[in-house]
Amino acid sequence: MSSQPEIPKVPDEVLVRRAQDGDLVAFEELVARHRDKLFARAISMMRNEDEANDLSQEAWVKGWQRLKQFQGESSFSTWMTRIVINLCLDQIRKNKRQRAESIQQMEEDQGGVERHMPTVTVNPTEGLEKTELRARIDRALNQLSYEHRTVLVLHEFEDLEYKEVAKRMQCSIGTVMSRLFYARRRMASLMASYKREELS
Amino acid sequence: MNEEQLLQLQAWVDGELPEGEARRLQRQIETDPEARALVEELKMTKAFLAGNEPEYTVPDSREFYWSQVKREIDRQAAASAQPADSRPAWTLGWRRLLAPVAGLALIAFLTVLSLNIVERPKLDESLQHLVEVENLDEHVGSFSYRSQAENMFVVWLYNKDLEPAADEESDMEDDAVLQ
Repeated sequence: MSSQPEIPKVPDEVLVRRAQDGDLVAFEELVARHRDKLFARAISMMRNEDEANDLSQEAWVKGWQRLKQFQGESSFSTWMTRIVINLCLDQIRKNKRQRAESIQQMEEDQGGVERHMPTVTVNPTEGLEKTELRARIDRALNQLSYEHRTVLVLHEFEDLEYKEVAKRMQCSIGTVMSRLFYARRRMASLMASYKREELS
Repeated sequence: MNEEQLLQLQAWVDGELPEGEARRLQRQIETDPEARALVEELKMTKAFLAGNEPEYTVPDSREFYWSQVKREIDRQAAASAQPADSRPAWTLGWRRLLAPVAGLALIAFLTVLSLNIVERPKLDESLQHLVEVENLDEHVGSFSYRSQAENMFVVWLYNKDLEPAADEESDMEDDAVLQ
């Protein structure tokens, strides 16, 4: 085994092979490299830091247990992200069963409000620094329903096609299209409102 | 525009339409200002979201975070390596010792009963054989045989822990009914 100081220079692929042979030191380095990304993805979906922390740690445990199944068809980071997404989806389903859907969420699912919203014509993100843009996106994500946020994360951040989103969310492609449409419209509207706040 | 048309426009933006359908939508977007405005908004939203997922940093230090992950990995590895009976070794030792002791105690009790050493009030003949002895030791199983003609009563005791396969079959006999 190579000494610790050399590990940060080693590419992921080599560390993965070592970890697949049972090298926990190599796996620890992989965790250190990608833990923030997994945590951020879990927060995007769950909107709760404690839950996101638990789920991202659970993802690493599962990742270690299933490491032999990783064939390198995608990057290790993508593979791990998919694991945390699946755990988040399971958790969202559990949470959803435990809470009653609000009337507002039902309206959102049906596009009750968004269908009649005026189109946003001026880009509300123009001139924003990347950090500020991300902060506003974060704020807007907080205001979406679980369904709308999840479909947005899977399609826009994870770059999954409609059918892949549908498979993961266990719903029809039509539902995905509908949720995505209203999520995007609401997102545009929220970003425009933040811009107005800034100007007033 | 109805909902289906709106979703078709979005599918066009996402490149999810077949080529022929995409060309038809393209013509509609060029001629319909409402459709064009909506497409522009959808494209804009898609663009500002791309690559701008909010960033977060794990609040725990690298060492603490890893220690939690490692502890869970070790725990699950230990759990999967353990045999079905996960009780500590010392309880198994006690069970091995107590099972024969409990068996001997039961034999002694039955012997006392069968020899009528303990003086009991005279009962009706039909009730004399309705004495019930319950075996409370979950580790001892029993089979019984009684012959009224021979005035004989035999109880076979065995250590369940040594015969795991017999556990389920002998559930009904855990409570030995002695007459």
